Amino acid sequence: MLFFSFFKTLTNQVVTIELKNDIRIRGILKSVDQYLNIKLDDIEVLDLDKYPHLSSVKSMFIRGSVVRYVMLPRSEVDVGLLEDATRREAANQVGKAR
Amino acid sequence: MSFFGFDTNLPRDRQQGGPSRGFFENPDPFAEVARAQAQDDDDGIDFEDTYDGLGDQLDDDQDVFNDDTFGGADAGPGSGGQVGRDFDFFGTTAKVADVIGEEQVRYALQNPSAAPMPAQEQANASAAMPTATTNTPSTKRTGYEKYSDPDFIPDLQAKSSVWGISQKKPEPAQPMSRRPMMSLEEVEAQMRQRSQPGHMMHPQSSMSQHPGDPSYHPPSQFPQGVPEGFPAIPPEYLRAAIEKGVLPPGMPGLPPGIAELHGAPVMSGPRPMRGPQSQMPPQVIPQQGPRNVGPTQGQQGQHVQQMPPPPSRGPNGGLPVITNPQQIMHLTEEQRNAYLVEDAKRAKRNHKIFLLSRGNGLMTPQDKNFITRIQLQQLVAAAGNVADADAEAVLAEDFYYQVYSQIRGAPRQHPHQPLGHFAQTYLLQTGNRLGGHGNRRAFQSADNHMQRMQQQVQRAVEAAKAKPKNKQLIIEGSLGKISFSNAKAPKPMLNIKRPDSSEGPRPKKVQSDLSLSDRKSILTNIESVYSALMAMEDMERTMPPPPEEGDAEAIQAHMEWRQKVHLLNQKLWRALKVMEPIVPNSTTPHPFIAFLSYPKGKKAIPRIFRHIDQEQRVTILTMIVVHLDSLDVVRLAQPVPGEAQPSLAVRESIDLFSLAVMPSLLGYVNEAPFNIIIGLLGLIIAQTHVQTVARTKVGLGILTMLLSRAEIVKEAGQASERDWQQWVEKFNVLFDTLEPALADIFPGAINTGDDMYVWQFLAAVGIGASPEQQQRLVIAVKDRVMETVGYSKTLPADMASQRLGNVNLFMRAIGLDVELLG
Repeated sequence: MLFFSFFKTLTNQVVTIELKNDIRIRGILKSVDQYLNIKLDDIEVLDLDKYPHLSSVKSMFIRGSVVRYVMLPRSEVDVGLLEDATRREAANQVGKAR
Repeated sequence: MSFFGFDTNLPRDRQQGGPSRGFFENPDPFAEVARAQAQDDDDGIDFEDTYDGLGDQLDDDQDVFNDDTFGGADAGPGSGGQVGRDFDFFGTTAKVADVIGEEQVRYALQNPSAAPMPAQEQANASAAMPTATTNTPSTKRTGYEKYSDPDFIPDLQAKSSVWGISQKKPEPAQPMSRRPMMSLEEVEAQMRQRSQPGHMMHPQSSMSQHPGDPSYHPPSQFPQGVPEGFPAIPPEYLRAAIEKGVLPPGMPGLPPGIAELHGAPVMSGPRPMRGPQSQMPPQVIPQQGPRNVGPTQGQQGQHVQQMPPPPSRGPNGGLPVITNPQQIMHLTEEQRNAYLVEDAKRAKRNHKIFLLSRGNGLMTPQDKNFITRIQLQQLVAAAGNVADADAEAVLAEDFYYQVYSQIRGAPRQHPHQPLGHFAQTYLLQTGNRLGGHGNRRAFQSADNHMQRMQQQVQRAVEAAKAKPKNKQLIIEGSLGKISFSNAKAPKPMLNIKRPDSSEGPRPKKVQSDLSLSDRKSILTNIESVYSALMAMEDMERTMPPPPEEGDAEAIQAHMEWRQKVHLLNQKLWRALKVMEPIVPNSTTPHPFIAFLSYPKGKKAIPRIFRHIDQEQRVTILTMIVVHLDSLDVVRLAQPVPGEAQPSLAVRESIDLFSLAVMPSLLGYVNEAPFNIIIGLLGLIIAQTHVQTVARTKVGLGILTMLLSRAEIVKEAGQASERDWQQWVEKFNVLFDTLEPALADIFPGAINTGDDMYVWQFLAAVGIGASPEQQQRLVIAVKDRVMETVGYSKTLPADMASQRLGNVNLFMRAIGLDVELLG
């Protein structure tokens, strides 16, 4: 749930998502679910000339499993908090495993 | 004939009807109908059968009979010849088309045995035909009448023939005789039919019945009328099937009666028929319904003794029994069964719907919502008190989001967010909400009901999540484990037994003991510190309210909490390893110093300082001071010849240390008693290479910290004379040690980097220095001062003033001012 929790804080921020088929899409993150499916608004496809079929797409829903990277606005990430959240997640996992 | 609904008759008629109808040819109308019917249903078959009979008989009779008939026609009035022409024309075409189609149908559908039988009968009949036809001219008239009548008669006869297999011969014989006559008449009938295509069907039906016998009109019509009247074939089939089983014994009796009926009408029928023809069409339609019941029963009584209830079947059932093989039986049963099943299903469904619809509209939507909430409440209650654990559970699962939104107020940062997001946020933070969110309150009240619903659903879901804590179920006797899985905890593909905790960690500990300060163990230490820190922070959050006097329970709770905090504090302290023995001249740094050499360690210091007491703080400060020159930010920050400044990584760590650690230390030092300051200064002088330390930002920062604190204490008059004497001694030593290196404490050349901290240090030294020391100080740094002043004149105004301000900080400490240098 860490990533879900994390991405939730990035809603309404501009993120760039690189899919596993190399398409990169920049848009406003509208929502994320537990599978890390992503809803983007006001999208803009980088390298649009390579993917002209996306030129008229304004918003999209991306299945989480096809996402390779999500590029985030650095200022919107609280690194220290994220570290702690990671530690908690790890502790939870350990606890669950046992 | 689909109109009439003669489904049952058709198949039977096909087989035997062919010959019988052949006698009463109705080439054109029937042919057309038959074609249409052949595609559709059984009804069509009847007509086809009639056609078949015609074709066959015609073929057979053509040679002799046709000539005779034509000749007879010739002998008669001219009209006969005209009719004959038309007939020929029509007959030939009808023969070709009908015969081909009929034959195909026969071979495909009819039993091989059935087909030959009619042929033989026809042959016999044909033999008799000529005599009958030639008998009287009046037959022509009757023939006309018969035409219309005969069209329908064939149906009747077919049925009768079916019933009275044994007596068929006599029946067909008479009709056969008519045939030639009929053919002429038929031509006229066709003409009429063509002129009135719409009426054809009805008149035919009526006609066919009437020709059978005027006296028997009712009964004769019934057989046809009944099937027509009863579109529902299945019941008839059922009954027919039943009859079949029963009929055989009774059958013999029936045929004779039928034969008589048919036979009599044939003879006398034609004449009376004409009158009926015109009347018949209207009669047939209205009469069909009522007639079916009454007369049919009568017929059945006659024909089928055992089958009184199904009148229509009497004829129908009788036909199949005689002519149709068992195939028809099976077909009818299947159809009937299917129909019954269908009907039963439909009835059942309707009944259900009716039962369900009784309560329609009894509850309002509000009622339903209310009940839903009750159910949800029960669900939640059954799942345990989830609400209590809610905050913790949510925090554990959603820590980052929860804290982040509390720190940054994430949801409220974006007022343009849709309302849905507020609701969502609220849902996700069930029970964990901080007070004072007026906006959210408003939303809550506005959509209170839905909010509560959502909240409860959320709790129910949480409860459901919490319930299957046992992820595996081992049922006795099963070969494996049954594991539950969900999106959060997917089913483990591998089930590896973890080593017991007693076995696992041991070797690790040995290792860590051996090398306390290798990278891995240091990182492990840091993580253990963090976990202890987080545990303490959790404890802090769950601190019970301060107990009121007399509230033993609250006091007890508070005491327990303090106990836990204390234990955690001890754990944290141990994890920090501050108290590890100091090994002089050791090649490996002290664990705590190693701890501080990682950014994570540096960042932990402010948090640690919040959770430790003063004694622990001074211990940490002491450790840092003692190991000042082995601190990474000091050791690595030494200026390297040829390089203006330390590497980027070192600079970053220095900045981090200055931002994270120094404020904590300064915070403590500003409150530290004077003797501790003196002690720390003494430690620096005794334990570290002061000149080395002084050449780094961190080192100078700590020295500045101590010196300024001492000055503040002195200014406040808090320092005892004896302590002050001690301090002055230490200061003098420090000054003497530093004086030769004063020129080197500046970072690089005048134009590189920020040297403010140096001026701050010099100012701190200058304040505490004696006049003589101040003089020496000025002499030591005079060049740098002049350089800076000169350099600042080449800089933009703001930067120049900043640099001069830094210098002035020192100048004023010793009672001077940059302006004086002007």
